[in-house]
Amino acid sequence: MFCLDTYLRESEDYEIHMTRSGFKDCARFIEKNAPEVVHVKPGEKIVGARIIGIPPVPIGINEEKGTIILPYTKPCYGTATVEIPVPVEEREKIRAVGID
Amino acid sequence: MKKAIILLGCPESPSQTPLALYASNKLTGMGYQVTVASTPSAKKLLDVSDPEEHYVKNKTDIESCLDGLEEGDYDLLIGFVAKDAAVSYFVTFYHILNTKSLALVFHRDQEKLDDFENSVRESTQATIASARAYHNPTPLRVRLDRTLDKLIGSGPKQDKPDMDEQGDS
Repeated sequence: MFCLDTYLRESEDYEIHMTRSGFKDCARFIEKNAPEVVHVKPGEKIVGARIIGIPPVPIGINEEKGTIILPYTKPCYGTATVEIPVPVEEREKIRAVGID
Repeated sequence: MKKAIILLGCPESPSQTPLALYASNKLTGMGYQVTVASTPSAKKLLDVSDPEEHYVKNKTDIESCLDGLEEGDYDLLIGFVAKDAAVSYFVTFYHILNTKSLALVFHRDQEKLDDFENSVRESTQATIASARAYHNPTPLRVRLDRTLDKLIGSGPKQDKPDMDEQGDS
């Protein structure tokens, strides 16, 4: 199973669009820039990690690039916006837990 | 026995550790089994402040705790909210646990205090106790006492005189 924390530790194939930001700014970035946005409940497991944030939490999907953009929060560092490539089945799982 | 979880975020504010020990002691006196979920740095401050674990007996890492958290695991959630990330963590724990909750919102800057308080209010139905606080834990301690007594009912009397209640910076 895909695991976000392990992926970010072991791979360099990801893009950080914003870092040390507030959650609301990161959410706005995703809403504005992702071709498709799915909203999920906070605490939902997305790519193996609990999604942290204020509901509804936006997850961006770029089908063409095969990537997702999500807010990634650490207690001392605030929220980052991370874009990572994920398999098609993970993108489907995100759509399945969407609350839109 | 009822279970309470206290969330500690980044320990940047000097008020957080003494208030966490105080809240844990108060909740234990009210009959709760208390767990503190914190960052590693916040845990180290607790370890040094309470070496024989008189006040906090159960400690866990906030991220691994969140990973395995399920509704029903705790009867009461208390979160220290002094940063934007702490708002996100508190709101996330709130929506998973779906239980009686109290956000202790504090910051030295009034604008940030208002922003954190509004974010918690807009996204949860948690009770909020907030105060301008940084070095001085008393303003938030006073509000914690009042709010907990209202939320849970009076436990053993532990209130101290409301001296030095003014906020600091």
